[in-house]
Amino acid sequence: MKVLIADDSVTMRRIIINVLNTLEITDIEEVSDGQAAVEATSAKAYDLVLMDWNMPKMNGLEAVVDIRAKGNKVPIFMVTTESEKTRIIEAIKAGANNYIVKPFKKETVIEKIKSIQGATA
Amino acid sequence: MEVKYINPFIESVDELFSTMLSCEARQGDVQVTRSMKIGGDIVALVGLTGSRRGTVALSFPSATACAVASRFIGMEITECDETVSDAMAEVANIVAGGAKSRLWQASQNEEPMSLSLPTIISGSDYTINYPAGAVWLQIPFSSELGDFQMRLIFVPGGNGSDK
Repeated sequence: MKVLIADDSVTMRRIIINVLNTLEITDIEEVSDGQAAVEATSAKAYDLVLMDWNMPKMNGLEAVVDIRAKGNKVPIFMVTTESEKTRIIEAIKAGANNYIVKPFKKETVIEKIKSIQGATA
Repeated sequence: MEVKYINPFIESVDELFSTMLSCEARQGDVQVTRSMKIGGDIVALVGLTGSRRGTVALSFPSATACAVASRFIGMEITECDETVSDAMAEVANIVAGGAKSRLWQASQNEEPMSLSLPTIISGSDYTINYPAGAVWLQIPFSSELGDFQMRLIFVPGGNGSDK
């Protein structure tokens, strides 16, 4: 399973990598803004994108819109502090497949990734 | 600044510590201060804008910052380097984000506030300025990872309301 993490926080990327490693997912790439996420998903095929919302250059929501506008159906999970219901609806309408609110329990992330892991393995 | 703004931030600190740091953050007495001096070796600031404007500042002694970063990332860190600064920025971001959501739930469908990207200040000799007369609320916390402080300020936002 090939995973792209888009988050401007090095800390959060490390935390997410730790969680992915417990699932024996090691094919992981990292970017720190939405624009880079759009470029990465245009250049390579991923099985999952974990996308922060608040990032410099281009935010995660705009990146989701761009990725979907290119016809890319890669599963995208928002991983964000933006937890208002209106924000979640906005992200899902834009094309996000799932939503993980920070702070999160490791088990929550594992459960959500496992839900698609079988389908993409 | 009304006291009702405090609880969402305190709850947010509690939630972060219990879910991602596996320990409890014990809150001390809330104090009011006009002092622009914020103690601590590392301060992480996040601004909130919208119907209200505010700032949350989390200040950590070096030892606490290293302990929090170590637990957060899952690796031993003994010096306050860029890794620690980034971790404190993410801590402040999560605390502000959680509080923002709680404030939104209490606001009855106002547009959610927006967060600034976190700012980190390192060192011990600095002053943070805010509009004259502004009053900060200061909340001390203790935890098994060390002591730290949170400061909050809120003023009316773009539409002038401060409900």
